Amino acid sequence: MKPDIPAVLAELAGLVARNAVPDVDPAERAGALSLSAALLAMAAEAWDGAAQRLVEENQALRTLLSEAGDRVGPNAGLAQAVDDDLRISTLSAANARLRAALIELHAAVEGDDAPDARALESRIWEELRLSTERRQMSAALA
Amino acid sequence: MASADLAPRLAAYAASRMPGAVDVEVRDLSRISGGASRQTFRFRLAWTEDGVPRERRMILRRDPPASLIDTERRVEFEAYRAFFGSRVPVPEMIWLEEGTEALDLPFSVAAEITDFEAAPALLWTEPYLAAHETLARNKWAILGEIARADPFELGLDRVMPPPEPESCWVRELGMWEKVLDEDEAEPLPITRAAIRWLRANPPPAAQKIGVVHGDFRTGNYLYDREGGIHGVLDWEMAHLGDPLEDLGWSLNPVWNFKRNLAGGLVPDAVAIAHWEASSGLRADPTAVHWWTLFNCVKGQAIWISSARAWIDGGNREPIMVLPAWGMQNPQDRAILKVMGRL
Repeated sequence: MKPDIPAVLAELAGLVARNAVPDVDPAERAGALSLSAALLAMAAEAWDGAAQRLVEENQALRTLLSEAGDRVGPNAGLAQAVDDDLRISTLSAANARLRAALIELHAAVEGDDAPDARALESRIWEELRLSTERRQMSAALA
Repeated sequence: MASADLAPRLAAYAASRMPGAVDVEVRDLSRISGGASRQTFRFRLAWTEDGVPRERRMILRRDPPASLIDTERRVEFEAYRAFFGSRVPVPEMIWLEEGTEALDLPFSVAAEITDFEAAPALLWTEPYLAAHETLARNKWAILGEIARADPFELGLDRVMPPPEPESCWVRELGMWEKVLDEDEAEPLPITRAAIRWLRANPPPAAQKIGVVHGDFRTGNYLYDREGGIHGVLDWEMAHLGDPLEDLGWSLNPVWNFKRNLAGGLVPDAVAIAHWEASSGLRADPTAVHWWTLFNCVKGQAIWISSARAWIDGGNREPIMVLPAWGMQNPQDRAILKVMGRL
């Protein structure tokens, strides 16, 4: 999730403190606090599963890149990495590298009629669908 | 600037624009929540003219330091003015101030349209549920009226550059792809796949160059309990282009509000039929599909740019985070749905 949750929580802390002052316009206070509440609910929901989601997704992407063999080109090394640092920021950075590699791989195979390319593209779409399921939140707006 | 400082400065500005008025006063100024691309305030302007006390309810929309959508306020202002008094209901525009002396930031003032609702959530409750078919007919008939309008007769080509019919899609896709290139904070494999598909499968040339509202959806119009629509708002992204672009935005699945209906109101086919009847244009299914997918990409670009404005520190309002967190994944799922991949 971007912006990163810790940065947003820090900003919300300041916002709540500013709205604790008695002379804040009531309509502005209501707007600020209702939006803050919605964001806090989203952050709370994302918090518990964030590391699990990233580890799971990074592994799925590495498997896909491994299956692609030579098609991955200079990104092949990404498929061999492991997530041994479980901080969200580190996992997210690895996830970004892997998803960037996936974009390149997807673009390369979608114009290729070879059977293995067709099969690989199907697996890419399936992973993309799964990626949206991992990111679903009950508090989503749509 | 806090509301307390804003009121007297706004009153002074109003007085400077109303030569016959004395005792000009801004009353009950209050910020309206939301407004990710403009700071929006409601107020009552009171003054005396020819010895007679007068009062009018108005809306102030002021540019924030950085907004969800970078738009030209004059384009928005002229779009409202062009349709005022037509079958497309819009509020009356009163003043446009592009300088920063009066209120530190550019702003516009409009008449307030009162006593109607805009919030989508109310639509899923009684008595509004019973009016969905009427509301949908009105919604897409108005969108059709916008498509039917001649932007050159309205003089809008003076502030909105007209593209060639065959290049509408290239200009719009290029513009929003550029936003994604500049603002994305993390890779977007689903959105990038959609862009590649859109470029590989271009739509037919536009039937006409029309006015495109750019953000016509549930939430951006004022409605009543009987399904009447009394104001079409948020013309910030108005431009000239293929009228099917607006139809595609209204069919973007993120505006279904989890109801699997266009705008949360009626099946897509019903919405399209209303639009065709009103606009006099044909909604070619292939072209509608292209423009619907394009609008999913455009939506993602808007949510991404909201995150970017917050990350870069230009606008740290919580409203900027809400679409970034709450819309990106639904928009990705909408892309998958439109592409038949969900």
